[in-house]
Amino acid sequence: MVLTPDFDTRPVISFQHVWKTYPTGTEALRDVNLVVPEGDFVFLVGPSGAGKSTLVRLLIREEKPSKGKIFVEGVELGRMKRRQLPHYRRKVGLVFQDFKLLPNLTVYENVAFALRVHGEDETKIQGRVAEALDTVGLSGKNQTYPANLSGGEQQRVAIARALVHAPRFIIADEPTGNLDPATAWEIMQLFLRINARGATVVMATHNREIVDLLRRRVVAIDAGQVARDDRSGRYHDDLSKPQIRAQ
Amino acid sequence: MIYRNLKFALNSAWQSFWRNLAVSMAAVVSITLILILAGVNLLVGHAFSQVLDSFRAKVSEISINVADDTPLQTVYDFQQQLSLDPRVTNVKFVTKEEALTQFKADPSNVVLAQQIDGNPLDAKLEVRVTNLSDVAAIDTLARRWPGVDPTDPTNYQGDFVNRMLGLSQWLGLAGVGLLAILVVVSIVIVMNTIRTAVYHRRKEIEVMKLVGATEWFVRGPFVLEGVMTGLIAAAFALALLVIAYQPAVDRFRSDIAFIPLSYDPAFVVSLARDLLLGGALLGALGSYIGVRRYVKL
Repeated sequence: MVLTPDFDTRPVISFQHVWKTYPTGTEALRDVNLVVPEGDFVFLVGPSGAGKSTLVRLLIREEKPSKGKIFVEGVELGRMKRRQLPHYRRKVGLVFQDFKLLPNLTVYENVAFALRVHGEDETKIQGRVAEALDTVGLSGKNQTYPANLSGGEQQRVAIARALVHAPRFIIADEPTGNLDPATAWEIMQLFLRINARGATVVMATHNREIVDLLRRRVVAIDAGQVARDDRSGRYHDDLSKPQIRAQ
Repeated sequence: MIYRNLKFALNSAWQSFWRNLAVSMAAVVSITLILILAGVNLLVGHAFSQVLDSFRAKVSEISINVADDTPLQTVYDFQQQLSLDPRVTNVKFVTKEEALTQFKADPSNVVLAQQIDGNPLDAKLEVRVTNLSDVAAIDTLARRWPGVDPTDPTNYQGDFVNRMLGLSQWLGLAGVGLLAILVVVSIVIVMNTIRTAVYHRRKEIEVMKLVGATEWFVRGPFVLEGVMTGLIAAAFALALLVIAYQPAVDRFRSDIAFIPLSYDPAFVVSLARDLLLGGALLGALGSYIGVRRYVKL
């Protein structure tokens, strides 16, 4: 069952007039307003340097906004104290283009790592890692090292690690960027299943085919601003392109 | 949970130490050398204080020569007055006869004793003063006493005592100054080791942060690694110092016999405690400053 985002319910994520200017003077985001309700699946699209990654970094609180406010589940990220950050990040599942797996740890240990840093006990870790690896279809690869896995399998491990502490929402930054089209599609199916279980997913991507096929909510960022926010959108706003209109 | 986190931190610190063995060993060697210098500083300080103590014991005792015509009651009164003085530890009256017996008993006076006719020696009050710095005041008091022998009032050597006090203070200051420099250098070395360890483990640190590790969960292993580095260095330094201590003292005594330097096994225990504690603290402090600077969430 796919949960339909309820725009009338309390938002999980809310950007209110958010600006981000780096110390170099680069204006990465300009007056961004965005609301993501619970259970939503949002694609962040736009050209390189448009501000997608800055938006993701703000969401995981690697950066603070220069102006404006970001609320996640009612908590303003800009005012969050450093000691509260770990607890916030435990609510978030993060998936990156370069997987960010530890090469000296096995598949099992990589996934378990996310629970070990929380100080969970080993029995609980075993059960939850097994469950997460089962969800991503890697149950038989417990003792394999990342170097011996394909790109798609490595991304599955990264997703299992993101899921293992049962996060309320998933932030993915170009999760299919390093994968071939078939593997990318498999990974997307996985994200759809996770979303169907109730997790909110925010995904920055350049993968036009996937965005166009899935027809989910699309937020296009351009020159640091929200250029478009379609509930069931495409990668490009095709009608605005004169060459397409002419065909 | 604390036990599990501690176990994780210890494992990580141990793995990191061996994974970056070249850097770890470079730090261990550097800190070992510094701790050896610190240990030598402590040993030299201890040796000087031993020597100074023996001199102090000698110069903190002052003899007040009593004039021959002083009534015995006056001497007893003055002895009583000195005994009640809080600066004085002990006063002993030595009669003329006892002074002569002592003089004759000294093997270095054998020839002179045979030539003595009668008893030319004064009776004396031997006063032991608690603090070396008070000897001058007691000397002044004695010289004002009417019963003192005006030709040779006391055996007080003011200049020597003052120089001893000055030397003792300067040595103390120099020791503290040297230790302070060594502490700063050690901390900088440990900080750099931690910076390298942080660089080598940057990917792991990034993942830890992203999955919600607390700041001290990330920093803990580095602090333990610093403590481990300090302790290993202290153990090496201690072993080398213990091996070299006695031969060095023996060599010194054979070369400069008049300085009463001696091997003190009891000091080795306190040296071990100081070096191990110092190594651990230096390691902890250096790595603490290092992680605060290089590991941020």
